[in-house]
Amino acid sequence: MSRKVLTVEKSKCIGCRICEQWCSLTHHGVINPAKARVKVTRIEESGVDVPVICTQCSKAACIAACPEGALSKNSKTGAIKVDKEKCTACRKCVTACPNAAISVHPEDEYVLICDLCNGKPKCVENCPEKALQYLPIETSERIYRSKVVRDTAKGGKRCG
Amino acid sequence: MANLGAVNEKLLRVNLTTGNAIVEDIPQEIYTKYFGGRGAGTRYLFDEVPTDTDPLSENNKLIFFNGPMAGTMAPGSNKIAVTFKSPATNGIASSLCGGHFGPELKFAGYDALIIEGKSEKPVYLWIQNDEVQIKDASSYWGKNIPETGEGIKKELGGDENIHVACIGPAGENLNVIACITAERHREFGRPGAGAVMGSKNLKAIAIKGTQDVKPAKAGKMANYVKELYKEFANNPKANARRNYGTVEMVDGINKLGFWSTRNFSQGQFEGADKLTGPMMRQEIVVEDTSCYACPIACGKVSCVESEKYGTVHIEGPEFETLGLLGPNCGIGDWEYILKAAEVCDYYGMDTISAGATVSMAMECYEKGIITKEDTGGIELKFGNGEALIAVLEKMAKREGIGDILAQGLKVAAEKFGAPELAMHSKGVSPATYDPRGSKGMAVTYATSPKGAHHMISPTMGAEIAGDRFAETGKAAMIKDTQIQMALVDSLGYCSSMRFVMQVDHQLELFKLSTGLEMTKEDFYTVGERVLNLERQYNVNCGMTRKDDSLPKRFLKEAMEDGPSKGQTINLDLMLDEFYAEMGWDKDGKPTEEKLASLGL
Repeated sequence: MSRKVLTVEKSKCIGCRICEQWCSLTHHGVINPAKARVKVTRIEESGVDVPVICTQCSKAACIAACPEGALSKNSKTGAIKVDKEKCTACRKCVTACPNAAISVHPEDEYVLICDLCNGKPKCVENCPEKALQYLPIETSERIYRSKVVRDTAKGGKRCG
Repeated sequence: MANLGAVNEKLLRVNLTTGNAIVEDIPQEIYTKYFGGRGAGTRYLFDEVPTDTDPLSENNKLIFFNGPMAGTMAPGSNKIAVTFKSPATNGIASSLCGGHFGPELKFAGYDALIIEGKSEKPVYLWIQNDEVQIKDASSYWGKNIPETGEGIKKELGGDENIHVACIGPAGENLNVIACITAERHREFGRPGAGAVMGSKNLKAIAIKGTQDVKPAKAGKMANYVKELYKEFANNPKANARRNYGTVEMVDGINKLGFWSTRNFSQGQFEGADKLTGPMMRQEIVVEDTSCYACPIACGKVSCVESEKYGTVHIEGPEFETLGLLGPNCGIGDWEYILKAAEVCDYYGMDTISAGATVSMAMECYEKGIITKEDTGGIELKFGNGEALIAVLEKMAKREGIGDILAQGLKVAAEKFGAPELAMHSKGVSPATYDPRGSKGMAVTYATSPKGAHHMISPTMGAEIAGDRFAETGKAAMIKDTQIQMALVDSLGYCSSMRFVMQVDHQLELFKLSTGLEMTKEDFYTVGERVLNLERQYNVNCGMTRKDDSLPKRFLKEAMEDGPSKGQTINLDLMLDEFYAEMGWDKDGKPTEEKLASLGL
C-alpha cells in the first residue's frame, strides 16, 4: 500500500485551533499551542486562517539541513523522527522547511516535528471541518483540485 | 494547598502611575466562590474600586479575568471578561470578549490582568510570559484599530500570532461607547471599557505566551469533549449559527414584530427579507471563522464592493449590529450597514450603542428638534446611509454634533431637549429586541447591572415557546436565566455554547479542568452570588429601583403594528415579582438575609 500524507485545505479552516490542542495533549499531556506540531495562523487583515503542517516531503529539506544527523524518516509512515539527544536546537531545519512547520520546544532544547501520531493523526481525527486530512499520497491533491474547479466554475470568490 | 489543574492561580497587576508590574497569587476561594471571568472580576472591583470613584479617573481599574477553563479543550471557553466602573452607567460593568486574547493571556501564565493608575504618556503593555514591559505608544496615538494592531505586531518583530487588544480614537477621546478591540474584530463592547483604557493613556496590550495549561484530568476531559463535538455537529441551533451567525435570528424576531426599527418606534422592518441569514450568506459572507476551541464557528467575515467606499471588509455583522445600524436607523442596504460597522470597528466604538445613538438623533432630526444647523449640514433622516456614516465619523472624532453624541445617547438626548427619545436603561441602549414583543426582556434590560444589555438574561427563546406577552409568572424563569448567564460569563464560556452544553456539562468540564468537586446546587449558588454582589455594588453607588427604568416608549406607547401590535409594558408589576423572587426588597436592594445566605 502507498504511504499516506497529511493534507490541508485552508479554505475550510475556521481557526478554532482544536488541532493544536489535540496535538500538544497527545505528545505532551498538556494544552499548549507552543508545543503543538500543527499551528494555525490567522491573517487578521483578511480573516483567513491558515493551518501550517508538515507534509512529509520525500526528499526532506529538514533532514538535509540538519548538521547533527538528528533527523530521519520513519520507514513505515514517512514521518520525520527527531533524535532529542542529538538535536542541538540550532534551528537550521526550521528555516529549511518550505512549510515553516518546525518549531523549537519552548522549554527543552530540541525541535518539534509532526510524527503523524504513528499513523493515526489526532489533528485529523478531531478537525470539525475536515480541513485536515490523512490521505494516500497519489490522491492527496484531489480535494484541492475540486475546490479550484468549483471556484473557477463560480467565477472565483467575492472580494478577492 | 490543592492543585487546581488548569487554573494558574496567578494574576499580573500593572500600575501605570508607578510603572510597576507584579505577579500575585489568586486565593483559591476566588475560584470556588466566583469561578473567574465576570464573577471574580466583580469580587476584585468590589474590594478595590470604591463606589465613589470617577470612572475616568486613575482610581478606576480594568480587571481582565479569564474563566477557569481558558486555554483548555472545553468548547468555547475563550471568553475573557473585563470588569470596571462604567463611564456610561457610573456602576459596575463586565464586558466579555471572545477570540484568542483570553487564552493567550492564560498561555502567558496568568488567569487575570489588573490595570491600575494612569500613565503620563501614551503607552502599551507587552507581555511575553514573565517578561512584562510598558512601552511608548506615542506613535500609535490617534491611529485606528487595524493600524494599531498591525503596527505593534510589526514593531515586535512581525509575529502574526501575537494577540493585541487596543483602543481606537474613540477610546482616546473618552467616548463613553468606546470599546476595547482584540485581534482587530473582537470587542469588549459595552459599556465604555475603551474610554476607561483611554483615560489611563493605555493604547494597547500585546501578549505572547508559551506556557502549559494542565487540566486536572486531561485525558478524561479529552474523551468528554470528543462526545460534545458530536452533539455540536448534530445540533440544529449550532448549525444555524454555523451558517448564518447570530443573523439567523432576523427572520424569527422580525416576523414576531419585535425587531428594533426606526429608534424602536416600530417592530418590523419592511426590508427584512433582504437581511435574513440565508440572504447574508448569499450576498456578503466570504469566510467562516471561529474563536479559540469552538467547533461552531458562528463568526462570519463579510465583504462588499462599494462604489462610494471601495472594498468594505468586516467580521460580522452580528445580529445586534445589523439591527441597530440597519433597521433601527431605517437602513436596509448591506453596503451602508457594513460600512457603518467598519467605521465603528476602525475607530473602536460599540456598534449597538452607536446605532442607538444615531437613531435617536435621526428621530430628533425628523421631528425638527435638531436641524441641519446642528448636524453640520447632514440630512440626518431615517434611511439615509451616508448620513449615518458621516455622523459616526464625527462621533469618533468628537467633531460638531459628534461631540455631543459621544457623551452617550442619554446625555445627548437631554442636551437636545428630548430625553424621552433616548432608548436606554442606566444610560445604555438596549440590543435589537424590542421588549414589548418579549416582555421578560423588559426585566432583563431594566435590572441588568450594566445598562440595557440583552445577554444578562436572554429570555426570548423561552418566551416565544410560551406566552411572550405575559407580564406575570415569569420571574422564576428570568432569575434562572440570569443565574445561568452569570455562570456562563464567570466560567468564561461563550453564550452560544448553551445550545449544547447545559449546566450539567459545564459543571462536569469545570470539575475535569480544576479537579474541584462541586454539586449542581453549589454551582447555582455561585451564579446567584455574582448577581447579588453586582447588585450590591450598584446599590452602594446609589442606584435603586428608580434606576431599573425603561424609556416611556416601551412602557406607554403601544406597538403600532404587526404581531406585537398594541403591546406596552407594566414594568412595576414585573419588577415587584422579580425582586421578590431574587430576595430583594421593594427598592431592589438585596436583603441582609439574602446576602448572608450567599456568604456575602
